[in-house]
Amino acid sequence: MMLASALRLSDAMMALAFIQQSLEHLRPAVRLQERLLFAPRLILSLLLLADAAGWALPVLYTPVLYTPGLHAPVLLGALVVNHLAILPFFNGTYNGGADRMSLLILLCLTLAHILPEPAWRELAFGYLGMQLLLSYFMSGWVKVVNRDWRQGRALRDVFLFSAYPVGENIRRWASRPGLLTTMGWAVMGFELAFPLTVLSRPALVAGLVVAALFHGANACLFGLNRFFWIWICAYPSILWLQERILG
Amino acid sequence: MFPLTGLRLLLPALVPSWRFFDAVTASPRVDYVVLGPFEAGPDEADPAWQEFRPRSEVVTVATMLRRLLWNPQWNESLFLVSLSERLIHAATGETALHSQRELLLRVARDLHRRGLASPDAFLQIRLRLVGREGEHVDSAVVYLSAPCAMEALLTP
Repeated sequence: MMLASALRLSDAMMALAFIQQSLEHLRPAVRLQERLLFAPRLILSLLLLADAAGWALPVLYTPVLYTPGLHAPVLLGALVVNHLAILPFFNGTYNGGADRMSLLILLCLTLAHILPEPAWRELAFGYLGMQLLLSYFMSGWVKVVNRDWRQGRALRDVFLFSAYPVGENIRRWASRPGLLTTMGWAVMGFELAFPLTVLSRPALVAGLVVAALFHGANACLFGLNRFFWIWICAYPSILWLQERILG
Repeated sequence: MFPLTGLRLLLPALVPSWRFFDAVTASPRVDYVVLGPFEAGPDEADPAWQEFRPRSEVVTVATMLRRLLWNPQWNESLFLVSLSERLIHAATGETALHSQRELLLRVARDLHRRGLASPDAFLQIRLRLVGREGEHVDSAVVYLSAPCAMEALLTP
């Protein structure tokens, strides 16, 4: 995968994730101030999606010899400025880790588009791939060094009293300690082993499919839908990085 | 001040820690009580606290799949959890003030939209930390707001 096509795919996927997030902030139940911050984000994301897809952008100057992704640096820069206003409104992130990944992807893509040297652009995009790898490995590491996780107690507590289970029927899984211990070790094992998947293309693709299913399960059981959409936006970066390093 | 505050909050995103669920500790819940105009004094005795947005008894697979695409209320509830944690562990007065204000504004707006509180009423919230004591789940109140006029919360 060439850097340009990987970047364009990432731009389009992030734009779609941002559109989904922004629409959730634009429903009538939300305060006007919040909607005014997310309306520009929605418009910029729609324009970014159109630009990545190669659709004509009537609101922006488009030369005769138009190439997809031409306006991406301007649109991404505008999204960064937009976030400089959104972050103080929430005094940080709104949706925790999902927002942190959103910001990381946005910053890395912006740098990968605007940096002057090709090597610096590759570094910015490769950094995103490396952070994706670390996001799984570090999550596994902090769990496996915790005795409660190793004994299955921690995941049981997540279901028993944390704020995450979406319904009381899901909370009742806490009464199945054997299942939760197995699930906990499966999650830790996968997260810790994820870096090994970059050693071969089929293993990496399989690893990313399993990871996406893991995020899908988290979205269903814990309502973490934004994690699902934003994490898969970083997948092109690790696929590109693996090809760039291993050839 | 724009853009300095935004930059201060944005830059840590470049070096995330990714420590998801490293320890499962007591978790906050938001309770509320709506007081009538004449009940908002400091001597209001034993008000009827209710949990804000309690979980559904049953969430079906179809609902879970639909929420993959559209889950704004749940995401706001998770933000209320973050605000509660920030308020409980507030390192600065500014953080505590922001969290307290956002919690009250969001609870007030939701109750008003659902017809559960009129603009002339008063709203009071409390935070409970729910955790495990041995084999039992227990909770303790760790924060209690003053009664606040709904009208002021609905017209920020």
